[in-house]
Amino acid sequence: MAKGTPKPDELSRIDYTPPQKEWMDTPVKLKPGMYCWGAKAKNLQAVGFPNARDWTPADEDWKLPENWEWTVLEGIYDRLKKYRSFQLFLDICVRCGACADKCHFYIGSGDPKNMPVLRAELLRSVYRRHFTFGGKLLGRIAGARKLTLDVLKEWWYYFFQCTECRRCSVFCPYGIDQAEITMMGRELLNLLGLNIDWIQGPVANCYKKGNHLGLEPHTIMSNIEFMLDDIESITGIRIEPSFNRKGAEILFVTPSGDLFADPGTYTCMGYLMLFHELGLDYTWSTYASEGGNFGFFTTNEMAKRLNAKIYAEAKRLGVKWILGGECGHMWRVVHQYMDTWNGPADFLEEPVSPITGTKFENAKTTKMVHIAEFTADLIRHGKLNLDPSRNDHLKVTFHDSCNTSRGMGIFEEPRYIIKNVCNNFYEMPENTIREKTFCCGSGSGLNAGENMELRMRGGLPRANAVKYVHEKYGVNMLANICAIDRAALSTLMDYWVPGVGVTGVHELVANALVMKGEKKRTTNLRGEPLPGVEEEEEEGKEEKEEQGG
Amino acid sequence: MPVIEYAGLEVELDDKGFLANFDDWNEKVACAIAEREGVPELTKERMEVINFMRQYYKQYNAFPILRAVCKNVHQPRDCVTEEFIDPLKAWKIAGLPNPEVVATESVDEAKKLYRLLVPD
Repeated sequence: MAKGTPKPDELSRIDYTPPQKEWMDTPVKLKPGMYCWGAKAKNLQAVGFPNARDWTPADEDWKLPENWEWTVLEGIYDRLKKYRSFQLFLDICVRCGACADKCHFYIGSGDPKNMPVLRAELLRSVYRRHFTFGGKLLGRIAGARKLTLDVLKEWWYYFFQCTECRRCSVFCPYGIDQAEITMMGRELLNLLGLNIDWIQGPVANCYKKGNHLGLEPHTIMSNIEFMLDDIESITGIRIEPSFNRKGAEILFVTPSGDLFADPGTYTCMGYLMLFHELGLDYTWSTYASEGGNFGFFTTNEMAKRLNAKIYAEAKRLGVKWILGGECGHMWRVVHQYMDTWNGPADFLEEPVSPITGTKFENAKTTKMVHIAEFTADLIRHGKLNLDPSRNDHLKVTFHDSCNTSRGMGIFEEPRYIIKNVCNNFYEMPENTIREKTFCCGSGSGLNAGENMELRMRGGLPRANAVKYVHEKYGVNMLANICAIDRAALSTLMDYWVPGVGVTGVHELVANALVMKGEKKRTTNLRGEPLPGVEEEEEEGKEEKEEQGG
Repeated sequence: MPVIEYAGLEVELDDKGFLANFDDWNEKVACAIAEREGVPELTKERMEVINFMRQYYKQYNAFPILRAVCKNVHQPRDCVTEEFIDPLKAWKIAGLPNPEVVATESVDEAKKLYRLLVPD
């Protein structure tokens, strides 16, 4: 936790009183803890982004190129021509305010510029001034304003206080997708080298080494090897997965966070155990070693470049289809962009589960199946031997990730899985789940350390809903299907709702999975004793003592 | 770049407190950085963690999975956070360069946070 982050009781006293002056007359103040460090020169250079230089957001001088105003205006013009949605979303908003209190950042901060309508207005006002007749003529009366350095700084501050979660768009009567406004805003900032390093670093890593963490092939293998050792000591089964194997039926791609940080590593162990148990003909890749795509938080082009390796590797290895792990924004990219960016993937086949014969028709064009769909289908067909009592010490609730829920409609599959592998499942309140789910507060590349106050504020609505089920039902585990969630929610829970852990769904699956030839399990994947085991051991000890005495 | 002095030794660090040159490292340098980071004493357990991280970095050019560190040095599963609170401190004392955006944030942030914030 960054120094200076307020304590929970202080942070929860939120002031919703708007400033005295009108929003255009309220200049932006960059508050430490609410923003991330600026992108470093070397990370911008690595992918050929413009205006690569080291810069500090807190400094007066952002080292902008000459004529930067023109660059931005030209950028707006280009994007208006290229994306009809952008033009439409700028034009049709009637500022009804239905979205205003739906944003987790507004709820958690009380800052009116975090109301989605006003965040968009930051950009819309410039659009009006420079691109509409009324704005040119009437200026401020028509809600128009000039592009100035202060305006640019305001864009930067607030477009990196939006996680592109799209909750607001669920409530917009016009269906305006505010995430697209933020995405365009970030693209424009990117023209001036104004990204954040938490995004740009992973982008550079991914471009150079294939994944956000910059793990090299032998490191990936060593990390997985370590997990295999752990699996062997827990189950007695030695798993031998393959890497970069040509001719495998399925290529498996997951976010690299699963290969590195707890609790993602336990989810990864879950995948390994499940696939082994099925005898699945699949391979890992050390080249397409990243499912996530931080390029998506810079520009459309960059996202496309980083995404290209998934199909390229599938083609090189000659697999039939692709299976993807638990991730959030990875699936927005895969589901809505991949096949038009880098497809058609006509060298792949329509995915069919080799175990159940189910055709995944929803993945007909992308040829990539979400693991929650894959596993739910296995359970539905009775292909897994499950002992949910092994998860009896857990009272589980499920956090819908913004991208898998609002971006692709995965609501039922993870719940179906959890209900089959756990005996205690409780839903959070209805307006905080499924398509109305609240963001973790750290998505879209904002999962840094230096903006901790922002993250804890943005995560407050989600944490509040967890707190409700924690107090009402004793929920102690927050399940999810997203790598950023697994990292971000752990911090969030310890801040707002201590006593609630975080898990991937496939960790729960693997704990309940009775594998052929396994030894009697005494611990779960985290090395904690399984329910009932401690008592048994103690009883055993007592018996021995009695016998000995 | 700051230069710190410790028992007659001069150690050059980068502006975030990481050792400037990987090869400058020895146990005395480790003590110097540990003092700066507020780690009171480099016990046998801490030195084992540090030595393993150095060796791992040489081989893999990466931040190791923390559980893997503990398993390799035969210490309890939470040894790195138990011993150093912030795993990044161990990394610094081991004389390794700034891992920057490596997801150190998520690495057992939980315990670190809990200790730093909740007790008082």
